[in-house]
Amino acid sequence: MTVEYVDAGEAIDQGTLSGKVAGGDVAPAVVHGVNHERILNAQAEPQNWLTYYGAYNGQRYSPLDQINTDNVKRIGPAWVFQAGMTGLIAGASTYSFEAAPIVVDGVMFLSGWDGWVWALDAKTGTEIWRYKHAVPFDVSLCCGNVNRGVAVAAGKVYVVTANAHVLALDATTGERVWDKTYGDVRAGESATVAPLVVKDKIIVGSSGGEFGVRGHLDAFDLETGEHQWRCYTVPKPGEPGSETWPADGEAWARGGANCWVTGTFDPETNLLYVGTGNPAPDFDGGVREGDNLYTDSIIAVDVDTGQIRWHYQCTPHDVWDYDSIGECILFESDGRKLLGHFDKNGYFFVVDRTDGALVQITPFVDRIDWGAITRDGTVTPRRYPDKEGDPVHFWPGPAGAKEWTHAAYSPKTGLFYVPVQDVGATATRRRREFRESIPYWGAGVQVDLDDMAGSISAFDAKGDEQWRWRNELPMCASVLATGGDLVFAGEPSGEFNALDARTGELLWQFQCGSGHHSSPTTYLVDGRQYVAVPVGWGGWAEGFLPGMLGAGHGSALITFALPET
Amino acid sequence: MTTVQERIDLLNKLGLDAQNKAALGQVLGTGDIGQATEKADGGLKATIRIRPDKISWDPSILVMPHGGDIELELINDDMNTHCALLPSNGDRKFIWLVNHSRGRATLNLDGPGYYWYSSPTGNDEGRGLTGAIVVLGDVPPEARLDRPDQPRP
Repeated sequence: MTVEYVDAGEAIDQGTLSGKVAGGDVAPAVVHGVNHERILNAQAEPQNWLTYYGAYNGQRYSPLDQINTDNVKRIGPAWVFQAGMTGLIAGASTYSFEAAPIVVDGVMFLSGWDGWVWALDAKTGTEIWRYKHAVPFDVSLCCGNVNRGVAVAAGKVYVVTANAHVLALDATTGERVWDKTYGDVRAGESATVAPLVVKDKIIVGSSGGEFGVRGHLDAFDLETGEHQWRCYTVPKPGEPGSETWPADGEAWARGGANCWVTGTFDPETNLLYVGTGNPAPDFDGGVREGDNLYTDSIIAVDVDTGQIRWHYQCTPHDVWDYDSIGECILFESDGRKLLGHFDKNGYFFVVDRTDGALVQITPFVDRIDWGAITRDGTVTPRRYPDKEGDPVHFWPGPAGAKEWTHAAYSPKTGLFYVPVQDVGATATRRRREFRESIPYWGAGVQVDLDDMAGSISAFDAKGDEQWRWRNELPMCASVLATGGDLVFAGEPSGEFNALDARTGELLWQFQCGSGHHSSPTTYLVDGRQYVAVPVGWGGWAEGFLPGMLGAGHGSALITFALPET
Repeated sequence: MTTVQERIDLLNKLGLDAQNKAALGQVLGTGDIGQATEKADGGLKATIRIRPDKISWDPSILVMPHGGDIELELINDDMNTHCALLPSNGDRKFIWLVNHSRGRATLNLDGPGYYWYSSPTGNDEGRGLTGAIVVLGDVPPEARLDRPDQPRP
């Protein structure tokens, strides 16, 4: 006798099983009015954090001052959002919570690892909606299951996925509006960058520099997702810059220079300022003789056409993995339009952002022995993997004196605040044949497990160090500067700190339970200032702090505020 | 060293592909492999079962010829209750599968690549109710790098 099956029905969205109340899964239409003009004037609405760096200038500065040096010792957790991790995900050992929370009129938009995007009530932490992109387990991660944040405009939330898609989600419901593929996962490409909205475009860059890809930026139409332009950061033979690659062979085709960190934008020059990644193979320069443009460079890109207008290369012919993806902070000094950039190679570059002319260069970490750069910008390599099988130790290691995590600049104090990593490494050149989708380092690499240090260091625009807050461990998270004369900075061991922006004195500290590798932001709702920090140790820890590879991973967003009166 | 055909025999001989033989559960990735079929409208469909006392998906590896939408029929022939949490763009899909039940799921997946899914309840995931959906194909031509074809492994 045949027994009829019980009808189990249709599978449902897992998010419906998360305690949501009817009607609570639709966000107010706060993003419908966000456009280029509002982002351009983001500093006029300090209650919001409208774009990745808070403003196009990349300063990561908020004028909010409700929380200040006098009262910061009284702040405490206001709410915590925890996502957790279930199932088997790509690079489960490398996931990390790296985002910069975006806030618009009381709604927070946040990305996580493995394709997660959330809209939260910024006052209570209650989840409004979630979007989960299905990320292949076998995607080539470069270099962890991470995502650095979303962009918002035109009623949409924009995010990239580890399998190199860029998505537009409806900001009220989280439903997908359009979905474009802009990288080839079979070539080892991926995506981690927080998109940037400029005019009617969404700008994204590719990841994959450790797999021998050819880096690029792409622009898509905000509304339709139609592709607008692609800017390759390694020239083809015959194009400007191609003379810096071997004339024979295909080294250029595997050259790297990925733009895996968000750029900044100046409306007066109409230029995007973007840092490019390392050349490939990272440590074997013998297969790619020449300066290898535009790797390890600051490039200025016409936002309308995607054309590179000028460049400044921080580490020509890099063989230390010194990406120049660090942020390009735009500021003015003595009437000049300048750009400040803390590079992985240990030097703080200031260039004229109208033409890329070098203004000054200063070391910002104590130990630099890979080479030296003189004040006129002349680079002299000293210690590098050259002979096959010969180990070479150098400082800084491949994670750099500052990783991708961001410095901040306070126009109020005139100081830059930089998270410093003083860690060395040993690389042994091991030449290998290129194979598409296989890591292409050209060396065995071991980052030091001891003899390391870190700091938050404050520099003025002339490159003079004004103060230093020292830490036993390298500092691996973005800092945030505020109008309350505070600098917020998280530690790998979980402490979240508030420093006096003028002296570096530690004024407040809270143990968050997991290491920091994200970009905290601040905002105001109903007259109350919040500081929000994603907490979740992980990522490419073997590269920047292997001594903390055994530390617990977290997955919490914690917000802090003064007590309600 | 084994040949491909020997692999099946060796898995069986060692008891890697069954419950409470070599290990406690069926080792992941040792079950059957199946392919989705293409409908006239280009959409894909497949059936996945849980057979009595197997605590594993059949097939445990489902292959889609390309990315896009797939309609799954999920059948629990077991005498225990299970469930399924499946990958899909937008949100993961969940379905409860009581003893001797049949349900449906519609997934949207990108290709190429593969995804794990499971029965995220009790002992199910480790015992063998963790399966894979493999999506074949390439990314769209416009997403590929402008460079000569490169050697692959």
